[in-house]
Amino acid sequence: MNPVEVRSLSKVFETKEGPLLRKVPKEVVAVDGVSFSVPKGEIFGLLGPNGAGKTTTIKMLCTLIAPTSGDAFVSGFSVAKDQQKVRENLGVMLTGERTMYWKLTGRENLEYFAALYHLDVADAEKRIDELLGLLGLKERQDMLVENYSTGMRIRLSFAKAILNDAPVLLFDEPTASLDPQSSRLIRDIIRGLKKEGHAIILTTHNMEEADLLSDRVAIIDHGKIVALGSPHDLKEKVKSSDIIEIETRNLTDHTANALESFSEVSQVALSTDPHSAEKGLLRIHAEKGKEVLPKILEYLVRKEVTITKVSFIEPTLEDVFISETGRSLRD
Amino acid sequence: MRTISGPSATARALTAIFQKGIKHYIRYPGNLLLIFAMPFMLTVMIFGMGQFVGGSNAALNFAARTGTSNILVYEILGSAVWMISWVVVEDVGVALRDEQMKGTLEQNFLAPINRVTLLIGLSLTDVVITTILFFGVAGVTIMVTMPAAFLSLIQAFLALLIGLIPLFGIGFLFAGFVIRFKEPYIFTQILNLLFATLTGTYYPVTLLPYWVQFLSGALPQTYVIEDMRRIVLANQTLVSLYGSVFILLALALAYPTVGYTVFKHLEKKASVTGEFSKY
Repeated sequence: MNPVEVRSLSKVFETKEGPLLRKVPKEVVAVDGVSFSVPKGEIFGLLGPNGAGKTTTIKMLCTLIAPTSGDAFVSGFSVAKDQQKVRENLGVMLTGERTMYWKLTGRENLEYFAALYHLDVADAEKRIDELLGLLGLKERQDMLVENYSTGMRIRLSFAKAILNDAPVLLFDEPTASLDPQSSRLIRDIIRGLKKEGHAIILTTHNMEEADLLSDRVAIIDHGKIVALGSPHDLKEKVKSSDIIEIETRNLTDHTANALESFSEVSQVALSTDPHSAEKGLLRIHAEKGKEVLPKILEYLVRKEVTITKVSFIEPTLEDVFISETGRSLRD
Repeated sequence: MRTISGPSATARALTAIFQKGIKHYIRYPGNLLLIFAMPFMLTVMIFGMGQFVGGSNAALNFAARTGTSNILVYEILGSAVWMISWVVVEDVGVALRDEQMKGTLEQNFLAPINRVTLLIGLSLTDVVITTILFFGVAGVTIMVTMPAAFLSLIQAFLALLIGLIPLFGIGFLFAGFVIRFKEPYIFTQILNLLFATLTGTYYPVTLLPYWVQFLSGALPQTYVIEDMRRIVLANQTLVSLYGSVFILLALALAYPTVGYTVFKHLEKKASVTGEFSKY
């Protein structure tokens, strides 16, 4: 059995919606029959937009949320039945910087969790020294975490996740909010952990990171896996069409969607710049892209859309997502 | 990486949780100062109200109803136990919610320890805090006003230690409610105010209506306060109060059992609804 086996895992949350006293029960399907496995020494990326079900999947794997149906096995132990054993075999980094005690020092935090993970005292001290050094926190180890920068807190949280040297590691958005240098450091460590034989699951909505790190990627949307394979294989699948990227201003969804009526165009996805709603990035999958491009540009100009840049690009995992869902990852 | 297992692993985890709790108390000193000051402030307030309502007969009425003329020690013992029960029920009951608000609850729940170990570790912190609180409030008052009775404090403290066990049970019960339903202070503050009313904190329980005294009889603080007053103010021994001690021991079995069962049930429900990470 692989270190991680996920079989038809589903999670349905029951919520209530509506005004007070007239709330209506509603079911929200967060994860819908997800199955995958992760062998030793593999980095498995779970890629999808916010709310796709990545974190819920991770939380079911680490026993924080009980599955509604299906099961998952960590080092052969069921998340539904052998929770304590599952936790012994896991190292987990959850999103956010408020995952450590701010009124304890960095070192005190790691010592605290080492005790909770039942690590031998001498081994734990050695391991803590090693991790503080590796993550560049040695000089600030006796400083209260409340005085750490965001990047330092996230690095400390990462150190906690790998403290017990567990065979299975789950990293939920490990480089979110990190500067490029710290991100690179974390990625290098993750690659090292893979070489040591850890089975690693990484969730991210950053397609470049998923592409860079993952041996295989599952693209997840609305709780379902819509594509699974190596980044190379997944990208090969969309190589049959050309991908045109157009930077625009004043492009509406309606105008963008109308491009799908062109017979050569198979997919259109528009993502807007979070800092400027009028700026948009249009991604078009089309057969014979060079032939259809003049028609597309003419149409956009006619609709008074400002075009600032046009390029033909190599497919990325985002294009795989677009091809499977018809939407951009950034939506 | 070598790991340890069995009782030594649990003991190490408990020690770590205990140390973390103590460090948090020390690093938030304002809270500690407040719980020391409160029993004195409440006693002064009750004393003032008694004088206002009772007029020139206040002291005589007090002695007739309580069997002692030492108003200060009588009230400070009640106040100290109330504050201790407040600390225990709120600390244990709200501790997991506090962790949830800090963002650290999930990190603790990811560790391979029994989740009740967390509550017990926090309770250990409270044993130390309440010991300091007891001797800092009741001890200082008795040392100043009736130094001859100072040694009786040891026996009074033993009564308190027995009484802490059912109080932790009440804390477990509320920890379950809090993790499932959030809004911790609604539960704990109503409960703590009820405790002050029902357990003879400032007046003898016998003054309460007969049916209310049944409720008082189900609460451990009632026995702790009464036993302490008898030991310190009436020179009785813990052995001579065996009936009351027996009831406390029975409550020490019942409350933690009920508290643990309810906590486990509600904790399981919370994992189904995904409550651990919700604010």
